[in-house]
Amino acid sequence: MTVDPITLEVVRNGCAAVAEEMNATLVRTAYSPNVMERRDCSCALFDAEGEMINQAETLPVHLGAMPFSVAAALERFPPEKLAPGDGIMLNDPFAGGAHLPDLTLVTPVFDADGELLGICANRAHHADVGGATAGSVGATATEIYQEGIRLPPVKLVANDTLDPDLLGVVLANVRTPDERRGDLRAQQAANATGRRRFRELTDRVGVDTARAAFDAIMDYSERRMRSAIADFPDGTYTFTDHIDDDGRGNEDLPIAVAVEIIDDRVIVDFEGSAPQTGGPLNAVFAVTASATYYAIRCLTDPDIPPNAGCYRPIEIETPSASIVDAKPPAAVVGGNLEVSQRITDAILGAIGDVLPERSIAACQGTMNNLTFGGTDPRTDRPYAFYETEAGGFGGRATGDGLDGVHVHMTNTMNTPVEILETAYPLRVEQYGFRPDSGGPGRHRGGLGIRRDLTIRDHDATVSLLGERRRTPPYGIAGGESGSTGEDYLISDGNLEAVSPKSTHVLSAGTTVSIRTPGGGGYGDPLERELAAIRQDLELEKVSIEHARRAYGYDVD
Amino acid sequence: MSPQDRRIGVDVGGTFTDVVTVRDGLVAVTKVPSTPGDPATAVHDGVATAVDPDAPIVPLAHGTTVATNALLEGTWAEAALVTTDGFRDVLEIGRQHRPELYNLAQERPAPIVPRSRRLTVAERLDERGDPLEPLTDDEIATVATRIREIDPEAVAVSLLFSFEDDEHERRLVAGLRDHGVSVPISRSSTIHPEIREYERSVTTAVNAALQPVVSTYLDRLTDRLADHVSGITMMQSNGGIASAAYLAGRPVHAILSGPAAGVEGALYTARSLGISDVITMDMGGTSCDVALAADGEATISTEVQVGPYPVAVPMIDVHTIGAGGGSIAWLDAGDALRVGPRSAGAEPGPICYGRGGTDPTVTDAQAVLGRLDPTRIATGDAVTGESLANAVAEPLSAVDDDPDTVARGILTVADAAMARAIRVVSVERGHDPRGFALVAFGGAGPLHAPSIARTVGIPRVVIPPYAGVLSALGLLVADRVLDRSTSHVRPLADVDPEAVEDRCRAFEVETRKILTAEGVSADRISTSRTLDLRYLGQAYEVQVPAPSPIDAPAVTACADRFHDAHEQQYGHATRTESIELVTIRVRTVATVDPPSLVHTGGTDHVDDAVRTTRSVVFDERHPTPVYEREQLPVDGCLDGPAIVEGLGSTTVIPPGQRGIVHDTGALVVEVEP
Repeated sequence: MTVDPITLEVVRNGCAAVAEEMNATLVRTAYSPNVMERRDCSCALFDAEGEMINQAETLPVHLGAMPFSVAAALERFPPEKLAPGDGIMLNDPFAGGAHLPDLTLVTPVFDADGELLGICANRAHHADVGGATAGSVGATATEIYQEGIRLPPVKLVANDTLDPDLLGVVLANVRTPDERRGDLRAQQAANATGRRRFRELTDRVGVDTARAAFDAIMDYSERRMRSAIADFPDGTYTFTDHIDDDGRGNEDLPIAVAVEIIDDRVIVDFEGSAPQTGGPLNAVFAVTASATYYAIRCLTDPDIPPNAGCYRPIEIETPSASIVDAKPPAAVVGGNLEVSQRITDAILGAIGDVLPERSIAACQGTMNNLTFGGTDPRTDRPYAFYETEAGGFGGRATGDGLDGVHVHMTNTMNTPVEILETAYPLRVEQYGFRPDSGGPGRHRGGLGIRRDLTIRDHDATVSLLGERRRTPPYGIAGGESGSTGEDYLISDGNLEAVSPKSTHVLSAGTTVSIRTPGGGGYGDPLERELAAIRQDLELEKVSIEHARRAYGYDVD
Repeated sequence: MSPQDRRIGVDVGGTFTDVVTVRDGLVAVTKVPSTPGDPATAVHDGVATAVDPDAPIVPLAHGTTVATNALLEGTWAEAALVTTDGFRDVLEIGRQHRPELYNLAQERPAPIVPRSRRLTVAERLDERGDPLEPLTDDEIATVATRIREIDPEAVAVSLLFSFEDDEHERRLVAGLRDHGVSVPISRSSTIHPEIREYERSVTTAVNAALQPVVSTYLDRLTDRLADHVSGITMMQSNGGIASAAYLAGRPVHAILSGPAAGVEGALYTARSLGISDVITMDMGGTSCDVALAADGEATISTEVQVGPYPVAVPMIDVHTIGAGGGSIAWLDAGDALRVGPRSAGAEPGPICYGRGGTDPTVTDAQAVLGRLDPTRIATGDAVTGESLANAVAEPLSAVDDDPDTVARGILTVADAAMARAIRVVSVERGHDPRGFALVAFGGAGPLHAPSIARTVGIPRVVIPPYAGVLSALGLLVADRVLDRSTSHVRPLADVDPEAVEDRCRAFEVETRKILTAEGVSADRISTSRTLDLRYLGQAYEVQVPAPSPIDAPAVTACADRFHDAHEQQYGHATRTESIELVTIRVRTVATVDPPSLVHTGGTDHVDDAVRTTRSVVFDERHPTPVYEREQLPVDGCLDGPAIVEGLGSTTVIPPGQRGIVHDTGALVVEVEP
C-alpha cells in the first residue's frame, strides 16, 4: 500500500504532535524539580515492531537509547501477554536501560480489534533511586548493586493503575518516596495521553494507512540519511580519545573508534577501547549506540526527521565487556553521563581530523555532575540536590564555540540561584565565565564557567563526577585545546584541589568551586581576525596576556 | 453621546494601518497603507481621514508593533546592566541550554546587553532579603563613574533577591541620578519583582533597551496627532489598555500589543454571542496567531517568547506559527510537500496578485480551487484560471500532475500545521477543543477555519463582523488593566498575613492613583488578588484567587483552594503536604462600556445576497454560490458549500457545514449541523 505525500505529511505532523504532547504532560505533572525545572526527561512513539516513529527532541542521551528499552519490554512481554491499560517499567542497564536513575515506561497501544498498533514510551531521570550515595550519581561504586534499585522489565501498570505491591517495593528502596510516586504518576499520565492521541490519529486516517505511513516515514528518513552519508568520501576514519580515569586510580582509558564509510552506510567500530573499568565509568551498549546515533546525526543533516530509519544505515561494533559495552555486574552511572560524551568526541574527532569543516572541535565533554546531601538546618528535613554544569562548545568552521552551554548528550537547564538558595541550605558565591578557557583558534572554543557553592550552617555530603580534568578538549584544523576543568574546596581562605570523582563530608562554610572545561579551538590561532581578538578583549573573555601568548596579538 | 462612543482604535500592522471609529454602535473602518519607516505617519493619515475635522477632539486607543519590531529586528537601544558582584554573566549564560540539539553550526542570540556593558556592585541579600553584605556609597560612586564613561542610552539594575527588599536597588538608582546619570533607568524591583534572577534580569534589560525606542515613537505620535486626539492609550500584552505615558516607562508590557488587541476583539465578539470558551485564530499574510480563552478570560502566561529573549511579564498566551496566506509551498530534499515558514510577503506577494510572484503560496492554492477570487485581492494584474493553475502546479509536479490535487495538498499541509498550533494552546494546556468555539479573523483566517475546526473536532466557528480589522476594534472594547506582582517565598505556615496584606494594599493604592490621575472615575476601578502557591519542593506554581483582606482565615482558605486546584489541574492533591507561597499578584481593572454591534443593511432572503455562482473544489468540484457578506439577512442560513465575501476577508463553508448570520453580523458556522 502506498501513501500519498499529503497523508504522509499529516501523519508525520500528527506523530510529532503526539510525542510533544506527551512531553508537555510529563513536565507539567511531574513532582521533582529535576523533571519540572531541569526537564531531564524524554518521550517517543514506536510502531508495533518497536521501531521508533518519532521523538520529542529533548535529551540526546535518552533518545537513541529508548528503542532498546522498547525492545527489552517487548521481548519480556510479547503482544499476546499485553492488554490495553498495561505499562512496562524498567531501568536495568543490562535489560534495556541506560543507568539506574533513568526509569522508562513502555505502554502498548491497541487498535479497535485488539491488534498491537504501536508503543508510547517515556524516560525520566529520578533524583534518587537508592544505592550507596544520595542522588544515586556517585563516583565510587564498583558494582551495579551499589547504584540503586534495579528493575528489569516489570508490569508496573495494569488496567491503567499502578500495581501497589510493585510500587511499594520501588518506594521502599529510595530516599524520597513521595517525590518518586509523583514522578511515576506523571510518567503514567504522559503515556495515557500519548495512547489516546495515537489512537485518534490512526482512527482518523485508518489503521492500514497509518501503518503504511509509519513505514514510509521511516523509509523517508533512511533515504535522506543514506544520501547524507554518501556525501562523505568512502574510507576509514580513526580517532582515539581518553576517559581521564575510572575513579579508582586507573587513568587514560582509551575510547578508540574506526568510522568506516562505504557508499551510503557507515560502520562504527570501537575495537581498541578499554576493557570495562572497576569504577562507574562504563557504558552499556544502548548508551554507546545512543552516542553514536547522536554524532552521526550531527555530521549529516539535523533536519532529517528523527526515527528508526535514520539509524538503519549505521552499524555499531563493540568489544564485549568493554568500557563501551559493559556487562554485569559493572557499575554504569557514569557511562550514561560521561562515557557517552567521550564516544561522541571520538566519532566527531575521527571525521574532524580529515574533514574539519564538517565537524567541530571538542566541546567540554563532561556534564560536571554535582550532588549535595544533608539535613537542612532551617527545616530539619533531609535534602538531596543534583545539578550539572555548562561549559564550552567547540569552535566550528562557521564560528566561535558557544560560551557556557550544555553540550552534546545533555541539554538540561540550570537551577536559578534564587530558587537554589531558597530551597536548599547552600549559597552561590559566583556564577560566570572562565576567561581564557576557550581553546585558541581561528574560531575560539567556547568558555567554561565557574560556579562556587558554599555549605550553610550544617555538614553536607558532596559528590563530584566530572571528566576532562586530565585530557583537554581537543582543537581541530590547527586549533588548540580548551582548558581542562578544575575542582577545589575552599575553607578559611585555603584553596585545596580535589579529585573530580570523589565524595566528601564537608563542614559549614566550606565552598565547592567547580571550573568547567572550555571548548577546543578551530583553525590556526594566528589566523584569527584582529577584530575578533579585539572584541574578546573588550568583552574580557580573553586577557591581554592570553591574547599575546595564544594569538600573537602585539597591538596595545 | 458618551465618551466611549467617540473613540478611535488604530492598529498598525505590517501592511495596513487600520482605523476604526464607533458612533452609536455603528462602526466605520478606514485602511491606509502602513509606513514602516515611520509608523506615526500612517497613524496620522488614517486618523485625519477617519475623523471629521470639525468633530471634537477624541481619545485614541493604539495597538502598535513598535516594541515588537525593535525586538525582532534588533533595533533596540544600547543599555548598561548593573548586577550583584559574581553574577555578571547570568544574563548571557541564561538557563545554560543550547537552542538546538543536533546542529553543530547553531548560534545563540547575543545577549541584549554585551559583557562590556555589564557592571557589578559589591552587595548581597539572602533569600529573606536580609543583607549579607551592605551596598556602600563608594560602590555606588564607582559604578556611576563607569556608567558615565560607557555613556549608554539606558540603564537596567537587577540585584539578587531585590524582590524581597528593594532598598539596595532604590539607593543605587538614586545614587546614579545624584552622580549625573540622566538616561532612563529600569530597576528589576519595579519592572518584574519575581524570583529567578535570569528571567528578572532579561526582562528588566529588555525594558531598558526598549525605553528610548518606544518613548521616541510615542512623543512623535502625540505631537503629530495633537490636532485630533486628546490622550493616547495603548494595548498591553496582557490584553488590557494602559496610558501611553505609563507604557513609555514600561515598554516591555507592550511587546504583544497587536496580537493582544485581536484576541480582545475576538473575545468581545464571542461574548456578544454568549460564548465564553473560545480559541482565537488570526491568520494574516505571513503568520497565524492562535490563543485560547476559557470562561471568557484569555490564557495569560509569563513564558511567552517574542524575538530572541524570554520576557517574563504576563502576556496573552499567543502561539505563533509561520503559516499565512503568503506562505510558500515547496518540496524538501526528500520530495515531501512543505508549507512555510518562508512567505511571499506583500511584495511580490502570491502569484495570483500579479506583481511578479513566482512561488506558489497558500493564497494561490485557494484561488486555484475557486475559493478565493484573485481579482478582488490582487494588487497588480490578477493571474487567474489555467495560467495560475499551471504556475502553482509546475514547481510541485513531484506531488501530482493535477493542479487541483496539488492545491488541495498545499491546503491540507497548511491546515495540519494550524491544527497542531490549536492543539498546543488547548490539549497541551489541558483543554479539550471539542468544548470550544473557533473565532477566526485576519485576512486568511475565515478561509481556513471551518476545515481546521473539523480536523481538530471543534463544533462551531465564529467569523466576527469586521474580521479584517478586528484588532482595531479590540482596542475599543478592552478594559484598562494594571498588573502588579512580587515574589515572597515562604512556607505558607510561616507567612505573616499582615505582610502580604500590606504588599497587596500598597499595589492597590499605587495603581488606583495612576488610573485616577489619568481621569478614570473611581467607581469604575476594581482590584483582585492572586497568590501563586505550590507544594514545597515543586517547581511550578498554581494561581489561586485570594480574599481581601488577607488574614489568617484567608490564608487557610487559599490553602484549600490550592489543593482543589492542584487536584483539578494535575489529577492529584496531597492535603497533608506543606505548601509554599511564591508570588503575590494584584490586578487593577477599570471597565469601559463597549459599543454594541448591530448588523445593518441586509436583504430579505439569503438568495438575494448571492453575487454569483462559481465552481469550487472541495472533495470534488461543486457549483457554489458566492454571497456578499454585507447583504446577508440576520438569521439567514447558508448550507455549504458556500463562499461569503466580505470586507477584507472571505469565508469558506465546506459541504456539510452550515452558516447562520447572527444579529451582530457575526457568521456562525456549525461544523456538524
